[in-house]
Amino acid sequence: MKWYENNAEHADIVLSTRVRLARNLKDYPFPSRLNEAGKNKVNAVVRDALLTGKRAKTFDYVEMRTLSHTQCVSLAEKHLISPEFASDSEGRALILSKDEDVSIMLCEEDHVRVQVIYPGLSLEAAYETANELDEALSRKVEIAFDPRLGYLTQCPTNLGTGLRASVMLHLPALSRSGAMQRLANTVAKLGLILRGAYGEGSKPVGDIYQLSNQVTLGISEQAAIKNLESIANQIIAQEKSAREALLKDDVFIDRIWRAWGILQSAHMLSCAEFMELGSLVRIGAAEGVLDIPVQTLTRLLVETQPATLNCAQGRSCTPAERDVLRARAVKEALR
Amino acid sequence: MLCQNCNQKEATTHIKRVVNGEAEEHHLCSECAKKLGYDHFLDDFSLSIPNFFSSFFHDTMPALKGAGAEHCGTCGSSFEDIVRSGMVGCADCYDKFFDRLLPSIQRIHGRARHAGKTPHYTVEPDEKGADKVAEAPKAQTAEQQIAALEAEMQKAIESQNFEQAAVLRDKIKELKGDDRK
Repeated sequence: MKWYENNAEHADIVLSTRVRLARNLKDYPFPSRLNEAGKNKVNAVVRDALLTGKRAKTFDYVEMRTLSHTQCVSLAEKHLISPEFASDSEGRALILSKDEDVSIMLCEEDHVRVQVIYPGLSLEAAYETANELDEALSRKVEIAFDPRLGYLTQCPTNLGTGLRASVMLHLPALSRSGAMQRLANTVAKLGLILRGAYGEGSKPVGDIYQLSNQVTLGISEQAAIKNLESIANQIIAQEKSAREALLKDDVFIDRIWRAWGILQSAHMLSCAEFMELGSLVRIGAAEGVLDIPVQTLTRLLVETQPATLNCAQGRSCTPAERDVLRARAVKEALR
Repeated sequence: MLCQNCNQKEATTHIKRVVNGEAEEHHLCSECAKKLGYDHFLDDFSLSIPNFFSSFFHDTMPALKGAGAEHCGTCGSSFEDIVRSGMVGCADCYDKFFDRLLPSIQRIHGRARHAGKTPHYTVEPDEKGADKVAEAPKAQTAEQQIAALEAEMQKAIESQNFEQAAVLRDKIKELKGDDRK
């Protein structure tokens, strides 16, 4: 099952957990110094090292140039690849597990970017899966590594463990309480980043935030994961107590029901409007005001993004057409 | 035509930009154009990550002028190439330009000493021929092998797999002994 269709621990607040490992092959220059043929060679080496035995059956190998631009953007909307990876397909390939929980970008910024995405809060499990793939790869291919600097990466910001872990959090109560800036400043002091997952940096959309580790050198994988997990748990606890206060307010309960009413009856929904109302319905669902599974909202969040809607239609739609399709999908899911 | 960002106001700003060689066109209303940062046409549109980090390197530049002729023997990058692109050329660049990269690395990471896991490259004997197995250990220095084995031993101890830990301990002893001879 795909991450956005699955239920999991802390799903009322945590949408997903992602762990990413950056690796490079020792014997090849980093991607920015490789031409297309060189990248293809790297891709083939990694493919042959990883896709053996059971994995050959559970993973697909996709050359990015065989996908349309819309398909690429849709993969980015599902958080399976980076937007940057979607923007240029030359010499790039993707190893994707059939249930879309593991995606390995080849020749993005680094030769290999192993990414595991799980529903809810499950950092340790996600790291374990990523680590298994890393172990499988590093047994067969020599990985660029230096005892002082750790895993060598094209951009020095990822040196060390090459590990970037993140959790996507729905924080409607905290963001309404005006605490987000203070919270972001606090976690920054602890070596983490908290920022809006959708929309522009200064104005996050849908109350969805991403908490991730920043430091990769001088800290072990386990310590980085534990640190992130403990801060995530503290933010979850704060959001829970903020929700308690918020749900005593009839004006807020009214807004949840109104949002529910619009989502159930609108003929057109822009992405921004769905994000805003969906956030209210999501907290209503999570806190038992509305009788729908929270997971429905996570699935809709992914499936109603522009390129993913286009993909489902098999063609490129105008924004107005998409708004109609989005409203229809939302109506059906909430019925 | 309506603005492609808000879908509400009339689009007044037409933006064409080339990203990785592919032309993109956007029609935006003046408000969204401003919001998305398209109001300063003299600036670079997006502060890309490499540019941002190349500024880290630039700080270390003055002392390095005149050293431009040196190139990495593996990928051909000069230190200036790395500074300009904000990207290191290959694994050997880190070795070749270590002293010059270190100040930038420390500015990003604070202290610069790896504390995480170590890769151990061993071609699996059951899948490849015996010749490959014999060749694999040579790829690592004894020091690296010992470090890898020690990490593995630590793991075995943590998972209370002491029999395996003992085997690993003996292997490490053997390697260390070889060094002394």
